Amino acid sequence: MTGFGLQASGLSVPGRLEDVSFALPKGCLAAVVGPNGAGKSSLLQALAGLLPTAGGVRWQGEALAKIPALDRGRRLAWVPQELRAEFGFLVRDVIAMGRFAHGDDDHGVEAVLDRMDLRPLQHRPLTRLSGGERQRVFLARALATEAPLQLWDEPLSQLDVRHQLEWLELAKALAVAGGTVLMSVHDLRVAHCMDQVLMLDQGRLAAAGTPEEVLTPERIHEVFGVRARLGETMILDLP
Amino acid sequence: MRRGAWLLLTALLLGLLLASLAFGELRLSPAQIWEGLQGRDELAHTVLWNLRLPRAIVAISVGAALAASGTVMQALFRNPLASPDLLGVSSGGALGAVLALAAGWGAKSLFAVPFCALLGAFLAVALVLMLAKQGAGVERLLLCGVALTALLGAGTSFVLSLSAEQFDRASSMVFWLLGGLEDRTWEHVVMAAPGVLVGCLLLLPLGRPMDLLALGEGGAQSLGVDVKRLRWKLIALSTVLTALVTAVAGLIGFVGLVVPHLLRLLVGPGHKRLLPLSMLGGASFLLICDLATRLAPGQLRVGVVSAMVGGPFFLWLLRRKP
Repeated sequence: MTGFGLQASGLSVPGRLEDVSFALPKGCLAAVVGPNGAGKSSLLQALAGLLPTAGGVRWQGEALAKIPALDRGRRLAWVPQELRAEFGFLVRDVIAMGRFAHGDDDHGVEAVLDRMDLRPLQHRPLTRLSGGERQRVFLARALATEAPLQLWDEPLSQLDVRHQLEWLELAKALAVAGGTVLMSVHDLRVAHCMDQVLMLDQGRLAAAGTPEEVLTPERIHEVFGVRARLGETMILDLP
Repeated sequence: MRRGAWLLLTALLLGLLLASLAFGELRLSPAQIWEGLQGRDELAHTVLWNLRLPRAIVAISVGAALAASGTVMQALFRNPLASPDLLGVSSGGALGAVLALAAGWGAKSLFAVPFCALLGAFLAVALVLMLAKQGAGVERLLLCGVALTALLGAGTSFVLSLSAEQFDRASSMVFWLLGGLEDRTWEHVVMAAPGVLVGCLLLLPLGRPMDLLALGEGGAQSLGVDVKRLRWKLIALSTVLTALVTAVAGLIGFVGLVVPHLLRLLVGPGHKRLLPLSMLGGASFLLICDLATRLAPGQLRVGVVSAMVGGPFFLWLLRRKP
């Protein structure tokens, strides 16, 4: 493990998470997996400081709860699973919100628009986007923060296959650049191509480590109740 | 459109201010208003300084405060159909005022009823916040507000029915509940205007974090907004604004709902623009309603007019929303 990254110790949320402890280094792409209701969203929210928790979260050795809100906004970005759009903010304005903690509204927004393939939509109100487009906008907002710690709750759930692959590429690039990216995913095959995997089962951490260590057929059977085997299947790659 | 909205609303407000100084039982020309304001025309001077100017200033304060408060509530509850009275401010104020009138304090001092209304409004919101408990989600807050509003409304009706036999008191209560700007004096201006001005000025810098809040609390928090603190600030300011205007003008519905909603359609949801424009728009809307009460025959009340305009608009919005 290279350098301090994200550390959670004894993280508990009554009825949702129980005594979850793990550490992820800097420069790491990690997945949270687990059946429905296992506590994936709760874990990400707890890590982002959005839930009252017992136990502590440290980022680069510093307790996150002690960092003032504005400062924290520059260090971590969290993308919810449920995306709200009661108000018709324009796509571009939503992405610029990612710069709130920096106080420089437009910095890097152009680049993010291009990177996320959102330029054609930039003047569209949020209320007139499809679910997948909206998800891309909120992910773009997280990207605009340039925060080294990225916590995404099922970022791929509504994306089409090309955007899924592009987004994974981007996540890998962030990790290579020294960020720590943690996302919940349902597709264990996606989790399999990441650096680290956290597996949750009924609010507890069932396993943590490299995909090879965590995603064994025995454990997948135990936690998810399905049989896993390697075989020939269709493989999708970016051109 | 954006710069245009500023110019348009400012011009509208000034024009309406002039109109509300000019029209009434005694019609004044712009020249007479000019002379009257400077004290060179005795009659115009009396009408302007004692009647129309304080009334116009109260109307502007009430409209601006209600629209600003409505904008805040809509961002806070992430619902474009939220209004300033959600947390029981207005119903608490109404009960306070009705109690003061039932006790016969209305005749003793000009300040008694507004003071009791203010007290009732603050107590009601404090109770809602206590019932919903700190840190609880906005949904819970909303439900507590709805429940308490119903309870306070029942209390007001009860007091009203007890006083039904004392005709003058009952009628003054009904008049208060209908909301009005008649006979507002400089005392009312002093009670409401400075507080409204300060409240509005304190709200203006919160536009940006309100944008983030309107798209979800968790997201706002993770982007660096101190959501808890912002929420308290917004609730406090919106309560003070609504309480102050309820105290001097009674219950005036729909301004806080309709004005921000309409302006959002015109200039978009960004609160940096929406907040100040809502204030201008709310002030204009209330001046229009007040002018209507003066120009229309019979006994129209401003609260009635605003709801008569606001009600159909609300229904139209509901029909538009699939």
